[in-house]
Amino acid sequence: MPIPFTCIEACDLSEDGKSELRLYGASGTRLFVQSSSGASAVWPEEADVRNDEENGEGPPGKRVKLSDPVENTSNFSCLTITNDKKHLVAVTAEDKCIRVFSIDSECRIKQLSERCMARRPCAICVTADDSLILCADKFGDVYSLPLIPSPEDEQQPAAPEQADVPEESSFVPSASVLTVHSGRNRKVLEAQLKQAKKGPKKPKEAPTFKHDLLLGHVSMLTDIAYAVVDKRSYIITADRDEHVRVSRGPPQAHIIEDFCHGHEAFISRLCVVGQDLLVSGGGDPDLFVWDWLHYKLLQKLPIRNAVFEFMRAQTDLASTLPEDVSSFKVAVSGIWSVPHAQSDVKEILVACEGVPALFSFNVGSSSTTGQAIALSGNALDVTFVQAGTESTCTAIVSVDNAHMPGSTTEIRKDESAVRLHFFSPQSDGQWTQAAGAVQQAFEGLGGSADKPTTNAKALHNILYGVENLRKRPGSDD
Amino acid sequence: MPGEPAKRLKREEYKNALHSEENKAELPKKRFYRQRAHANPFSDHSLQYPRSPADMDWASYYPAYAVNKEIEMTEGESHDHDQQQPAPTPHGPISKQVEIADIGCGYGGLLFALAPKFPETLILGMEIRTAVTEYVQEKVRALRTQHLSTNSYQNASCIRANTMKFLPNFFKKGQLSKIFLCFPDPHFKQRKHKARIVSYTLNSEYAYVLKPGGVVYTITDVEDLHKWMVGHLERHPSFERLNEEEEKSDECVEIMRMETEEGKKVTRNGGNKYVACFRRIEDPPWP
Repeated sequence: MPIPFTCIEACDLSEDGKSELRLYGASGTRLFVQSSSGASAVWPEEADVRNDEENGEGPPGKRVKLSDPVENTSNFSCLTITNDKKHLVAVTAEDKCIRVFSIDSECRIKQLSERCMARRPCAICVTADDSLILCADKFGDVYSLPLIPSPEDEQQPAAPEQADVPEESSFVPSASVLTVHSGRNRKVLEAQLKQAKKGPKKPKEAPTFKHDLLLGHVSMLTDIAYAVVDKRSYIITADRDEHVRVSRGPPQAHIIEDFCHGHEAFISRLCVVGQDLLVSGGGDPDLFVWDWLHYKLLQKLPIRNAVFEFMRAQTDLASTLPEDVSSFKVAVSGIWSVPHAQSDVKEILVACEGVPALFSFNVGSSSTTGQAIALSGNALDVTFVQAGTESTCTAIVSVDNAHMPGSTTEIRKDESAVRLHFFSPQSDGQWTQAAGAVQQAFEGLGGSADKPTTNAKALHNILYGVENLRKRPGSDD
Repeated sequence: MPGEPAKRLKREEYKNALHSEENKAELPKKRFYRQRAHANPFSDHSLQYPRSPADMDWASYYPAYAVNKEIEMTEGESHDHDQQQPAPTPHGPISKQVEIADIGCGYGGLLFALAPKFPETLILGMEIRTAVTEYVQEKVRALRTQHLSTNSYQNASCIRANTMKFLPNFFKKGQLSKIFLCFPDPHFKQRKHKARIVSYTLNSEYAYVLKPGGVVYTITDVEDLHKWMVGHLERHPSFERLNEEEEKSDECVEIMRMETEEGKKVTRNGGNKYVACFRRIEDPPWP
């Protein structure tokens, strides 16, 4: 059974009358790309086959190594395209690595850099000028890294925040005997002294590439957004402790402009809609719509009710529901702004963990009810493309083909479930399955190059982690 | 754990007795409120905190400043026939804002020393340990009762909070004029350094709640921690260090050195006290 696409990204590379659309998909440890021109590629390459094809002329013993002799065992968790569409920035979860890829006109994927962070990145974004990657991590910090490190950057020794921790050549204990201590501190000090006798401990290896600490929460970060309004850049960060923080963009990222207060459960996703609206969602029954430049709550969109109503209408899902909507919980796993030709329509699509549907809301309108778009599997990721001649966009939706619809643990029996859905909005605002050029171009993404999945537990962990952010009552000290 | 229930029972008995009419003005005894010195700032606990500063029920902490003097019973209380609550406390907004925060106030030594020095300013002690917070709250109650005629100590209060996570839930941008960080947990282990109360990233939150010109006061007896705090505050573009003259002329520095519980302990031990104060400077214009 092929692993579902955890992340997908599409872009339009059409120029000079030549139209080309591309779809990138991350599935487990591998990255796929499919062009509407027919070209496709996989990273890492299947070494044996490709080696022979490309280096067939050389003598067998002296085979030139491929540019990517990499063996990747970590699963992709984030994927984003730079604004100039020339690079792909991805995160692999287990090795905490930020990887930058270039993809040429023939769809060949080349990894330019891999930079392993000290803490696992949970979300990344790229600044408007494509110079910096902003990386938010599970420890609550946001770092900036150059997209393409310059030679000087490479020589920079260590992160600045490490620099002020003096590297004691001769050991000095952290405190003197005169210090007032609790029993525990005394023990730590004794341990330090003991350690000193053994010789200095090897410091944990800090990343040697350039990475600057911009800001931090004392909480797990869950999402990050970057926005430029009136030439001012902003970083918006969300954390597990209900905070949406608006900071200035670099080089003034240490300045907190303000907070959007109101959530009562964890926040998992942020989505800037248009320029001045922000939608945030997570473990609360509602999505919050903000005038984020004035930190004002404009509207709440009842996502929990929408999911509940949808599930209740499905014969095979209704039995899993509690009787009362108030004891039903949703965990928002994705919010996407729909690129509409008319800018006055502000529509979002929303996914919740383990729910085989997307929910469409009009943001800032008087109606707050969501329209459900049923899927054949749980929604995982969404991306949009605008096929050259068509005026409306197509939403490409990655669905979970491994688990039963509505379940995050039960594995499907049929192995033929599709991994991608294609939808287009109709003139009345309804989304219907689209059987257009886009679908034809991309249906085969990753279709031929399948690898058996890892075990069920591992697959669950790759796909579903949002509900785990919820706080459990009674975990007091 | 044997002995544990007896201890809890004793504490409960003591606390109940403290609330009786004749003991109202009696200061609480510390030994009934001891708690281990460390708390993990990263854990969830079961903390109570307002969704935003506007949601904060300040009147229950500073009843003398309540805007709604007529007492509104909250829903919870009207059903609650708790005899230990003799007079219902007012709820809602207050006529003044808290301007001084003592973060990690411990048993409140500094809080009670500052209250009479700044009678017109609301001062809030913030402490993560439940029992210690309770002690300070009892002491506030007792001191207010003792000074009914002068209305002293109405400006001091204490709340249980994890300020490292939730400071912006309590205070608006630029609300505070002083923040005290006195004898914080040194977190000696390298691995635990993010748990320290001063760090480059956390300093942004102190800068956020402080008004320009406001001051962060730090004191510790651990030289290593002192260097750490100075290093991280000096590196932060929103702060500049007070020079020696300015430090000397600030009466809060002397109070902080002499009146905090830890400060007294250090004096008894003949230890060193390291002080550093930093002023919040105005934000630069956008680039």
